[in-house]
Parts: sequence; structure tokens; C-alpha cells
Amino acid sequence: MKLKDKVLIIEDEQNISNFISTVLTANDFDVLVANNGAQALSVITSHCPDLIILDLGLPDMDGGNILREVRSWSNLPIIVVSARTHEHDKVAALDMGADDYIEKPFGTSELLARIRTAIRHTRTPLENSSIARSGKFSVRGLMIDYDKHRVFVDGDDVHLTLNEFKIVALLGKHAGKVLTYDFLIREIWGPKAKADNQILRVNMANIRRKIEKNPADPQYIFTEIGVGYRMLDGEN
Amino acid sequence: MEEKKRIKRKIPRALQDALLTVGVFASAVALCTLLRRLAEGDGYVSLVFVLAVAAVSRWTEGYFWGIFSSLCGVICVNYIFTFPYWEFNFTMTGYPFTFLTLLAVSVMISAMTTQIKKQERLRMETEKESVRANLLRAMSHDIRTPLTSVVGNTAAILESNGAFSREQEQKLLQDVNEDAQWLIRMVENLLSITRISDEQAKITTEMEAAEEIVAVSVQKFSKRFPGTNVSVEVPDEVLLVPMDATLIQQVIMNLLENAVIHGEGTTKISLSVRREGNTACFAVCDNGRGIPKERLGTIFSGGLSGMQHNDFDMKKNMGIGLSVCHTIVKAHGGTMSAENLKSGGACFRFYLPMKEGKSNETER
Repeated sequence: MKLKDKVLIIEDEQNISNFISTVLTANDFDVLVANNGAQALSVITSHCPDLIILDLGLPDMDGGNILREVRSWSNLPIIVVSARTHEHDKVAALDMGADDYIEKPFGTSELLARIRTAIRHTRTPLENSSIARSGKFSVRGLMIDYDKHRVFVDGDDVHLTLNEFKIVALLGKHAGKVLTYDFLIREIWGPKAKADNQILRVNMANIRRKIEKNPADPQYIFTEIGVGYRMLDGEN
Repeated sequence: MEEKKRIKRKIPRALQDALLTVGVFASAVALCTLLRRLAEGDGYVSLVFVLAVAAVSRWTEGYFWGIFSSLCGVICVNYIFTFPYWEFNFTMTGYPFTFLTLLAVSVMISAMTTQIKKQERLRMETEKESVRANLLRAMSHDIRTPLTSVVGNTAAILESNGAFSREQEQKLLQDVNEDAQWLIRMVENLLSITRISDEQAKITTEMEAAEEIVAVSVQKFSKRFPGTNVSVEVPDEVLLVPMDATLIQQVIMNLLENAVIHGEGTTKISLSVRREGNTACFAVCDNGRGIPKERLGTIFSGGLSGMQHNDFDMKKNMGIGLSVCHTIVKAHGGTMSAENLKSGGACFRFYLPMKEGKSNETER
């Protein structure tokens, strides 16, 4: 028998969970469904799913509680589903340890891509297996050399400053995953840096001018409005 | 927060009223002093103070200052300007009458002023309400069309028992999908409007790099309309603009969609951002048929306030899309323009101030 990845869908809207579960089953996942928070918590502990899809707007409890509860004992990947009316919740969820988010309404290809990325990231403890092996990350024409602290585009060194390199390196390590503004600022400028997005925006603009052909039509680093940045995922 | 604001605004108003009252009385006293030097008798004194009380009642808020000033008026008249000067004398007949007259004048004028203000507010509310009602009516009407198709097509497939060919089914489902996408966009517009709350139109802005918002909008747009070529141009300089990014993205998306849907035959759209003085200018130009001349003037209001049902561009919600854009840009303290290009095609521009304007909440 073929072993499949087990996905738990925590969603109170029957139609949505039906739709997700149909798509996932057709794509070779085992699917579990929980309609509320209490049920979800018991399914998580008894079935140990490989990935959780969590709707933030549950009837009986705040999705954040489930997130905190699971994160207290496990690193299993969690993708939160948010509606536009809960914009701040999704950023909070990411900062609380959710692996990724997807916004309603979403398409099937988008959903599957997020799930695959999230599952792959947990399989490779060093976030990205090829970085661990070779000290390099590459996607299309972009190559990050972690040992030499350099970034190349189509073979040419693009001469990033130290902070610019740190940002690109971090995004590369988590390629395919969205990194929130706060997370990036903390990692680059330290925990005491004030949450001033402006300096990050300017750094990113400079990075784009160096690595993208057209900074207004980026191919490598994408903006997620109000959330953060995401590096193109090489393996999807 | 909201409560605090209101108190903050109230204090200066009360102070303003107090100053005004003092000012009016000072001038009244000065005038009487002057007149006393020039003329005999004191017949004018009461009249001058009636005038003062009337002025105070008219220009201050509520009844307090009016009544307060009528009291002051009596005291002034009695104490300063009538015999015996600088002494109270209420034994003289007529003083209670003077007081009552002043009081009546102040109450009447205060009441009138308050009523006028109330009517003004009511009128504005009604107008706003009618714009909103028209918008809602238009939207509900617009929403019904695709919903009919969604329900109709899916029901047809469900009840067909396999009578349709695979292609026919695909075609029906394709339509359902398109209509559902359209509904999503409509709802996004609705959400944007509700984000701009009421007349305050206050939004929370953050410094955003214009190029990022442009890039996200174009990438999203290209997913929805893969057949249309959008060229994007941004300056070398990084333009940081205070904005609510989600809302501005909505504006750009609406303009891009507009270019495709109403351009009729649009194959190319150019989107550019550049600095123009103290503003960031976003321009969306296409090579379609342009904007009909008769619509150029009222294109942003969508004719919403005095709109007839049939005037509306029924299935394509042009009026709504553009009036949402206009509302959002205005809430940012910006402006918007539309023109036809000489080379054919339409060009929509909007300008956002680059510095935090006073309409933005910077304290937060």
C-alpha cells in the first residue's frame, strides 16, 4: 500500500472543506476533516497529521488558540486560511508560528503549491536541503552562495551590501514561504530594532534594482501586501 | 481613541465661544463708553447690548453662551451705563423687563441657530444616504445577473443526467467560473468601500514603496487576464508613499480591468509611476476605444447621486469600479483624472501626496 501524507482540514464551512478535501484526495493525500476547534485538537493528538489547514474564523474558538496549542509540542506544518476581513489575524498567525497562509478565495493550484512547500520544509531540518549540501541556493538565474556571501544573477555577482545579502539569504533559506516584515526586521536588525518597515522597503527596492530586470515586475522576490516577502520556490 | 478625539475637539470650541463672548462684550462696552462721551442720555445702551446678545447667540454653540451673555448684558446695562453709574440699582422699574427681553432674544436666536445646524446635518446625511442607497441598488442589481447564470448553469448540469456532452459541460462550468470571479471582484470593491468609514474617511496609512504595490497589482491582474500585455515602468528613485496598500491595489486593479473590459479591443496597457512635485503619479493608459465624450465629465461620480437605473453600465459595473477608485484616492488626500489619448485609448491617472497629509492619523 502506498503511504500518503495526511492532511487535517479545520474548517467550519462544509462547502469549503468538501472542496478542499476533494482536491486533496484527487492529488494523493489522506484527508481528515474537523468542523470545530475542540474536535480539531482531539484529531490532532490522536491522528498526528503531516499538515494542518486551519481556518482562522472558527465558531467555537479562536484559530490562534489551536496554533499556540499545537506549537507548544510540535513543529508540524500549519497553513492558515484567512478571509479579507481578518487581515491582521493572518500576520499574527504567521508571527505565532504558522508556516504559511492562503487567502479566500483561493484556487486549487495555489493551495497545492503551498501544501507541497510546507511539507517539504519540515522534511529538511536545515530548511532547504540543497543549501545544506552545497552551501548554495539557486532558482532560475539567481544563485545565493552562502559560504562566500554573494549573490549571482545569470552568473554575474550583483554586489549586495551586507544587509541586502542577509535579507536575500534569509528569503532563500525559506524559499516559497512568506516571511513577515517583523520577522525580517528582527532577524536583520535585531530584536531591539523598532518595527519600522520603511528601512526594509528601501533595502528591498535596492535589492530589486540589483537582481531583477524590472523592479516593478519581479521574478524572484514577491511582495505579499501587508504581510511580507516571499522568494520564488525553486522546487515547485 | 474616538472618545478622546471628540473631547479634544470640544475644548477648543468651548474656548473659542468664550473668547467670542468676551470679545463681543468688550466691543459693546467700548462702543457704549464712546457713545456716552458723544451723546446725552442712555437710550442706546439697551439696544447695543441686545445686539451683542444676538451676535453671541448666533455665533456660539448651544444655549449656554447666549443665556450667559444676556445675564452679563443686564449687569452691564444696570451697573455701568445707567444712572447711578458703577452701582447696582434694581429698584428702578423696567430692569426685570430689560433682562427678560435680553433673555428672550438670546433663547430665540440660539434655538434658531441650533435648528439650522441640525437641518444642515440632516440634509447632508440624507444626501449621503441616497448615494449609498443608489450604490447598493446598483450593486444588488449587478450581482443578480451573474448569480442567475451561476444558479442556472449548475442546475442545468445537475439535472441533465449526463445529457450534455463533455464540451457542453465544460462551457457551462467555464461561465460559472467567470461569473463567480466577477462576483469576487465585486465583493472586494464592496469591502474596500466599507473600509473607508463614513464621512471621516480616515484610513490607516503606512509608507509603502509604490513599485511593490504596482508589481503586486500587475501580477494579480495577469493571472486574471493572461491575454493582455501590461508594461510597467517605475523610476529609479524609490517612491515611498503613505497609503493603505490594499486599497491602492484595488484602485490599480480596477483601472487595469476597466481598460480591458471597457476599452473594447485593448491589447496593451501601460502602467507607470513617477514623481510629480510632491505627489506620486500613477497612470494607467490603454490602446482601446477610449472614453465616450459624454461620459468624461461625470466619469468618477458614476452619476451615483442622481442616477437613473438605465444609465448604468449594467453588467460591467464601470460606474462602481471608478467611483470606488475615486473614493479611495480622495480618502488618501489625492486626486484623479481621466482623458483620451491622441493616439486613441484612455488614460486614467491618480496622484497621491508623498508626505503624510493632515488627513492621516500620524499619532498612532
